[in-house]
Amino acid sequence: MTRLLEVEGLAKHYPVKRGLILQKQVGAVRAVDGVSFHLDRGETLALVGESGCGKSTTARLVLRLIEPSAGRVRFQGQDVTQARGAALRALRRQMQIVFQDPYASLNPRLTVGDAIAEPMAVHGLGDAASRRARVQELLRLVGLQPFHAERYPHEFSGGQRQRIGIARALSVEPELVVCDEPVSALDVSIQAQVVNLMKDLQARLGLSYLFIAHDLAVVKHMADRIAVMYLGAVMEVGGKHALFAKPLHPYTRALLAAIPHPDPARRGRVTPLGGDVPSPMAVPPGCRFHTRCPFAQERCKAEVPALRPVGAEGQQVACHFAEALPDPGLDYTGGLTEAAAKRLALYDAARRRAA
Amino acid sequence: MAAPTAAPAAAAPPRRPGLMKRLLREPVAALAFLVVALLVGAALLAPWLAPTDPFDNNLGAAMAVPGTPGLPLGADSQGRDMITRLLFGLRITLMMGLAAVLLGGLGGAVVGFAAAFYSRVDGLLMRLMDVLLSFPAILFGLAIAAILGPGIPAVVLALSVATVPLMARIVRGAALVVMRQDYIEAARATGMSDARLILRHLAPNCLSPVFVFATLRFGQVILLGSALSFLGLGAQPPVAELGAMASEGRNFLFFAPHIAVIPCGLIFVVVLAFNLLGDALRDALDPRLRV
Repeated sequence: MTRLLEVEGLAKHYPVKRGLILQKQVGAVRAVDGVSFHLDRGETLALVGESGCGKSTTARLVLRLIEPSAGRVRFQGQDVTQARGAALRALRRQMQIVFQDPYASLNPRLTVGDAIAEPMAVHGLGDAASRRARVQELLRLVGLQPFHAERYPHEFSGGQRQRIGIARALSVEPELVVCDEPVSALDVSIQAQVVNLMKDLQARLGLSYLFIAHDLAVVKHMADRIAVMYLGAVMEVGGKHALFAKPLHPYTRALLAAIPHPDPARRGRVTPLGGDVPSPMAVPPGCRFHTRCPFAQERCKAEVPALRPVGAEGQQVACHFAEALPDPGLDYTGGLTEAAAKRLALYDAARRRAA
Repeated sequence: MAAPTAAPAAAAPPRRPGLMKRLLREPVAALAFLVVALLVGAALLAPWLAPTDPFDNNLGAAMAVPGTPGLPLGADSQGRDMITRLLFGLRITLMMGLAAVLLGGLGGAVVGFAAAFYSRVDGLLMRLMDVLLSFPAILFGLAIAAILGPGIPAVVLALSVATVPLMARIVRGAALVVMRQDYIEAARATGMSDARLILRHLAPNCLSPVFVFATLRFGQVILLGSALSFLGLGAQPPVAELGAMASEGRNFLFFAPHIAVIPCGLIFVVVLAFNLLGDALRDALDPRLRV
């Protein structure tokens, strides 16, 4: 597999200013603070983490919808952060985005056909007739009917709109699709359909996904690799199976342990994390997780742990004591995820029968 | 490939009705459209429709009451036929109001979109608008009349300049709300030009408040225009203009009320019809309100 996307030390700091006329900077919100990861062609990398940990900001930085404060994003070897003019336009064609809220991501004044055709028109692909034909093809591809092209977004349900958003993103045949919580605004049954559609499209079109989610069941179904973020930084990266089987970082463990399991025997064995996420305006020194980490020691307060490879399967973790942590003796793989996997598989089977 | 949610392959639905059909479906809107069409038609055809010359005075018939033979709506203080004066007055009033709202609205829209879209110039543009906003329209009229000389062009220019900051504020406010929507970010992610983004995605979604304000402003502009005429800056006597006619008639309000009341009534009809039409147009242009 070839590298499609490489992100190095990406950061976005929003200055906090005070004063009416002579504004002075009194601090910075470190929304994303030195994030590095890579994505191979045809692969799905999931970014997970709780609300406000910088997942969506990272996605927008990768697409250069916002300007980074520091760091580099390389797409097929080309630096996205330095591209301008025609080069940036060409890059934009290769990278598309699917949004979280299907009700806000479609222009209510454009018909569905116009919305899907527009990216093609912007990049000068085909003529009006061939674009219309392509719109019909895309609508069918995402499970809608060709005559839907004449309709307006408000005439569709949330799940259908998300399909339209996916068709729009696919219209210019991108290499990378950034999915910013594409299913978290949808009903559970619709989630399964959309997730399976996305998997199906990936297999057919060889897409790569940067998939942002906080539903770990969906992540487990979709992702090949997972990056766990906390307070603007990556805590752990690893293959899906390795990460779920043996989470190395205390934060990853806490996150996975928080998945509700229908197992009464687990009661009392899971200690939830205490406290709250610190403000991104005052990121703790040393390891940013030390304020809530049950295993924190003196070293954690002083020294920032680097993301380093631990274990055999390319798992990387930013923890000084990853090897020394006691085994929690919890099974992270079962429980609700299993039920969710069953549900997803059922829908998948139904789709295949219908096809 | 058929997904479980895909609707059964029904026949394609019938074509949507066109803009005109949607506009005229509401009876109130249809009536407003009819009245506006009549008013504009009357104004355009005034030289052919008017029974006499607008400047033709007949002091013998001065202040003739409506219903006098040959003068169905009476005559003004100079004995000029009211019908003729109203037709010619309508011409100038409509032209003045529409020109000022269109010019000022367009200028304001450009400033408002620029301020909302390019946050770097936002502060500068809006402070400039605040400066404009601090002058009353009458003062613009005085200043511009001093430069251009009194007359209709000076009034139109003054009213346009007075409309620009108001429209700029309204457009900026509406645009800032729309700018936060995901579909603007989606449009940006496709790599389209700023002009295309503004014209196709931003502007159409800011139309509602713009329509409401433009139709309200149209009424205000007509009244301001007649105030300027009253100050001797706008339409110069003996030119007929509805506002000027009304202010002229106020001297005779006790002896011959029709000289002031009839032009005022016509102004009322003009403003009401344009307001209703503006509302109907706004609704007809919004795909979300279609059944």
